[in-house]
Amino acid sequence: MSFVVAAGLLEPYAGLIFWKAIAFGLLLFILYRFAWGPITKALTEREQNIDMSLRKAEEALAEARQIQADNARARREAEQDAQRILREAREAAEKLRTEEIERTRAQIRQMQEQAQAEIEREKQGALQALRAEVADLAIQAAEKILAENLDPARQRRLVDDFINQLPRN
Amino acid sequence: MALLIGLGAPAARAADEGGQLDLIGHASDGVYLDFAPFGKVELPRIFLIQDGDGNWDVRAYASTASALASGQYDVVTGEDVHLPSDDVAGIEELIASHEHVYAELVPADGGRIVVDFSITRHLVFGLLAAVLCVIIFVSLARRYARGIGRDSAPRGIFQNLFEALIVFVRDDIARPNLGDKYARFLPYLLTAFFFILFCNLIGLVPFGAAATANIAVTGVLAMFTFFVTQFSGSRDYWAHVFWPPGVPVPIKFILIPVEVLGLFTKPFALAVRLFANMSAGYLVILSLIGLIFIFTALFGSVVGVLVSPVSVALAVFIYLLKVLVAFIQAYVFTALSALFIGMAVEEHHAHEGHTPEWHETLDHDAAAAPSLPLSGDGASIAGSSKPAEPAMAG
Repeated sequence: MSFVVAAGLLEPYAGLIFWKAIAFGLLLFILYRFAWGPITKALTEREQNIDMSLRKAEEALAEARQIQADNARARREAEQDAQRILREAREAAEKLRTEEIERTRAQIRQMQEQAQAEIEREKQGALQALRAEVADLAIQAAEKILAENLDPARQRRLVDDFINQLPRN
Repeated sequence: MALLIGLGAPAARAADEGGQLDLIGHASDGVYLDFAPFGKVELPRIFLIQDGDGNWDVRAYASTASALASGQYDVVTGEDVHLPSDDVAGIEELIASHEHVYAELVPADGGRIVVDFSITRHLVFGLLAAVLCVIIFVSLARRYARGIGRDSAPRGIFQNLFEALIVFVRDDIARPNLGDKYARFLPYLLTAFFFILFCNLIGLVPFGAAATANIAVTGVLAMFTFFVTQFSGSRDYWAHVFWPPGVPVPIKFILIPVEVLGLFTKPFALAVRLFANMSAGYLVILSLIGLIFIFTALFGSVVGVLVSPVSVALAVFIYLLKVLVAFIQAYVFTALSALFIGMAVEEHHAHEGHTPEWHETLDHDAAAAPSLPLSGDGASIAGSSKPAEPAMAG
């Protein structure tokens, strides 16, 4: 039998099967060797790359969020610290002021007391001196009276003079 | 060039001069490239011949015309005309009419052509598709090797287009069917997919022909799938073929031939499906265009002219459909190849799971049937599948 050229559609053509098998086998080999390897490898690598990049980006995002949260917490803590310090400073200042006032008052009081004691002492001293003075004067007056046996008017005048001789205060 | 002998003569002359247009002849293979209306380019003829003395010989000629001119062949044309090799005038007349490319050559010395290794149209366009595949994908591979598409995004329509298809074959054909063994068979699936796709698309180009519209070509492709499937078959696969699990022993002896037959019917179905789909579009378009001539012949030229817009519109529609079919058939062949290979390489340990799956499929089919417009059959199927339902039983 021979395979005619214008064969019916359904008649497989032996020569064509032969050539086609060789051609397709060759095509398979060439593409397998030179094309599909690099292409599929590159695609896989790129996909892994993208996967990794996405994962990294997610990790970076999570990290950034963490840092942001940390920052916020740190800021809040710092603010609280600042407020606390301010409050403490105010309190300290207030305390200091109160203490200062207290001290000043105590000082004033002390000074007052000292002054009063001084005054008292001075007064006692003055009274002492006055008393001694008055006693002396009385003795002197009595001496003068005794020395000059004088009439009452004269006595009166003597006493007045004496008194006028006294220092005013 | 002897190859260019036929160039310049109107090829459709037979039809123009009231002869017949051989649709099947056009759809089937031939030893020439048809560039109608510019003419035909004859292709080389190669014969493996056993001559009258029983000696083997390979003879090659640049064209059919030069084979005839060698005077070694008698000619049998379609009309049962037998021209002896020494009828030089008759053969020259045949060559002049450009009908010789359809003729059957018979060695004059009493030998026979054992195998006709002639280069044919479908081989040429198949090789063209193969060469296109090589050029495109090797250059694409070099692009990837340079780092474009590997370290960066793919650039340009060329790379993006083919990358989308490659990724489609990998993710939607290879991976679902082959699981984690997909990498081993991906090169074959990609080669088959793109070779078939390119063949199909070349068939849509004017003067081109789809090599996949040839049963020999699709047969070779299916054979490759067959061998890949059998050579990668797992122990489970062969056990399933030669000792089907889950059935009584007598049934096994019925099933074994069925399973063995199944090994061959799968690739056979692959080959016929691709071939039929690709040649059917061609025949439908030729038939639709042929309607114009039929109507002209039956009712006169006025009706023919009126019919022609409808015919052409329908032909254009079929043509667009063929573009779709070109992709679909490349997909179907590759997907089924992947499925068959996947079934062969699968190592399933629970054979009992097979039977319920089978019933599930049947139930599914039965449940789907009532949605068909054939309500009579659908209702009866639904009734049989749900006997408990009183309305159906009544």
